[in-house]
Amino acid sequence: MSGMVVVGLFEGIEKAAKAGNALRALPLAEDRITTLSSVPLPDRAVTRDTRPIRFPRVTLVGWFVGALAGLALALGTYLLYPLITGGKAIISVPPTLIVTYEVAMLGALAGTVIAGFREMGLCRFRTRLIHDPRIQEGKILLCARVSGDEQAKRAMDAMKTAGGIDVRPEEGEL
Amino acid sequence: MSGAPNPGGGNHLARTDQGALYRELSRSNLPATRRWYTVVGLLLLVTLWGVGCFVYMMKVGMGVTGLNRPVMWGSLIASFVFWIGLSHSGTLISAILRLTNATWRAPILRGAEAMTAFALMVGGLFPLIHIGRNWRFYYMIPYPNSRQLWPNLRSPLMWDAVAINTYLLGSLTFLYFGMIPDLAIARDHATGWRKRFYTVLALGFRGTHSEWRRYHVASTIFAILIIPVAVSVHSIVGWDFAMAKVPGWHSTIFAPYFVTGAIFSGLAGVVLVMAALRKVYRLENALTTVQFENLGKLLCTMSLLWGYFYFAEFLTVWYNRNPEEWEVYRSYGGHFLPLWLSMVVCNFVVPFPLLCMRRVRRSIPALCFVSFLVLVGMYAERFLIVVTSLARRNDPFIWHNYFPSWVEFSILAGALAMFLLLYTIFAKLFPIMAVSDIQERLFQATDRVVGGTTLESVARPEASGEGGHG
Repeated sequence: MSGMVVVGLFEGIEKAAKAGNALRALPLAEDRITTLSSVPLPDRAVTRDTRPIRFPRVTLVGWFVGALAGLALALGTYLLYPLITGGKAIISVPPTLIVTYEVAMLGALAGTVIAGFREMGLCRFRTRLIHDPRIQEGKILLCARVSGDEQAKRAMDAMKTAGGIDVRPEEGEL
Repeated sequence: MSGAPNPGGGNHLARTDQGALYRELSRSNLPATRRWYTVVGLLLLVTLWGVGCFVYMMKVGMGVTGLNRPVMWGSLIASFVFWIGLSHSGTLISAILRLTNATWRAPILRGAEAMTAFALMVGGLFPLIHIGRNWRFYYMIPYPNSRQLWPNLRSPLMWDAVAINTYLLGSLTFLYFGMIPDLAIARDHATGWRKRFYTVLALGFRGTHSEWRRYHVASTIFAILIIPVAVSVHSIVGWDFAMAKVPGWHSTIFAPYFVTGAIFSGLAGVVLVMAALRKVYRLENALTTVQFENLGKLLCTMSLLWGYFYFAEFLTVWYNRNPEEWEVYRSYGGHFLPLWLSMVVCNFVVPFPLLCMRRVRRSIPALCFVSFLVLVGMYAERFLIVVTSLARRNDPFIWHNYFPSWVEFSILAGALAMFLLLYTIFAKLFPIMAVSDIQERLFQATDRVVGGTTLESVARPEASGEGGHG
C-alpha cells in the first residue's frame, strides 16, 4: 500500500462523506480510500472496508491448539508419572476436561491477540505510516492512494471542494 | 467528533471539544505532585512491612502464624479467595457490558479492568505465601526433572494454578487491548519520555477505518472468551473446597455460590474504586450518578442472589442435620457468631433493603458505605468457609479455634497496600478512563445539522441522563 497518498482533514463526518463520494466518482477504487479518526466511523459512512476480517478463524485454531496442549499436559502427566491410588483410574476424565478447557481458552485468547494485531497491521515501527495527530481534536483525515500526478491533482481538488483543510500529498503507507 | 453539539442537552462532556475532553479525563496522568509521592511512599512502606513479615515467616517457620491443627488453612487462604473474588467484576462486568452494548459502561471499563488485573496479582501471591518452604514453589510448575515428580493434575489446587494463570493472562490482554486506542490518543497529546512510552505501547495504532473495524471484532471476541474463563476460575476456587470431604465444604452448590459471591464483592470493589477515582481526579463529569445507580442495581441483584444461595445451602444442612455438618453450623452461633453476624448483616440484611431505595443508589457516599459493608461481609464469609469447617472437623477432641497472628495481619495489610500501590502507579502512567469509548458514545449521542435542520441522535436519552453532577 505504499506510494503517493493524498490526505485532507475534515471537520465533521458530513464533509468527509461528501469528499469520499467525490473520490469514488473520480473514479478511485474503494480499497484506495480510508479514514483516520479518533472514534470508529460506521462502515460506508465515509469509506467501506473491503478486506474480509479473517482473524476469528485463528481464534478457533488457537482454541484447538490449546485444547490439544491441555490434553497432552493432562494425559502426559498421568501416563509419564502415574499416581497409583487404590481403586481409582490412572486417567481421570473430569480433571482432564478442566485442564483441557482452561488451556484451550488460553490458546483462543493468544490466537486472537496474535492474529488480531497482525491483521490490524500493528507493530510496523520501521514503516513510514500516514498519520495526523489533529484527528485527536475531532477531525477526520481522509486518505486516498493515487497513481500519478494527474490523479493526485483531481483527488486534491475533490477534497478541497468538499471542504477539506490542509489537503496535501504525502509519501507513506496507509 | 465534531458535528453540531447538542445544544439543549445537559451533558457537559458532549459540549466539550475533544482536546479538552482528553485533558479532563487524563488528569491522573499529570506530572506527579508531592502529595502523590507521599501516598506512594506510605503504600510502599506498608507493602515492604508486609514483605518483611513474609520473609520473617519464611525464616522462622509457619509457627509464627495462628495456624495449628486442625486449622491449617487460615486468613491467608481466606484472603486468596477474597482477592480472586474481588478480581471478578472488573473483567467480567466489563465484558458483559461490552457484549450487551450497555451505553453507560464507558467510564467504568478501564478502572474495573485494572482492578481485576491487580487483584489477581495480589490474590495469586497468597497460595505461594501460604505453602510453607516457599522457595520450592517451582514444584508446581510442570517440567521434566530429576525428582521424578510432576504436578498432580487430579488435584483441584493444580486446576486453580492453571485457571488463575489463564485468567490473569486473559485479563491483562483484555486490559491492554482495550487500552490501545487510548494509548494512541495519549501518544498524540504527550511530549518527552511519555510520548516515546505511549508510542511503543500504542503499537502504531492510528485509527484507520480498517483498524477500528478489526479492533471491535477482536474486542467482542475477547469479551466472549473472557466470560467463561472468569466463571470457571471462581468455580474452581469453590471446588478447591468442595472436592474435599470436609464438613461444610463438600457441597454441590459451591461453584455457583462462589461465582455469585465473587461478582458481588467485585461489584462492591468497582464502586469503591470508581468513587475514589472520581474524587481524586475530579471525574465528576464522566463518572456520574448514572454509572453509580446502575452499579447499585447490579449490587442489589447480587445481594439477593447471594442471600438465595446462602439460604439454599443453609436449609439443606439444617433439614438434614448430618451431625458432622451441623456442628459446623452450630459454631456459627457460638465462637464464630460475630463473624457469622457480620456476614449476614453486611451481605444481605443491610445492603438489600438499602439498595432497593433509589435515593441510596443515587447517593455516592451511601453506595460507598454499602459497598464497604459488602466487602467486610464477603471477607467474613470467606473466613467462615475456610476456618470454621476445619475448626469443627469431624473429631471433637481436636476442635480448635483460630485467630490470625500479627504476622498474618501484617501480610494482609501489605497485600492491600500493594494493590493500592499498583493501582496508583497504573493510574499515573496509563489512561484510567476509556477516552476513546467515551468519545465514541458522545459521537453517537451528538445531534447533527443536515441542511437546514438538526437531526436528533437516537442515543440522546442516555447521554442527557449523564447530565447530573452526582
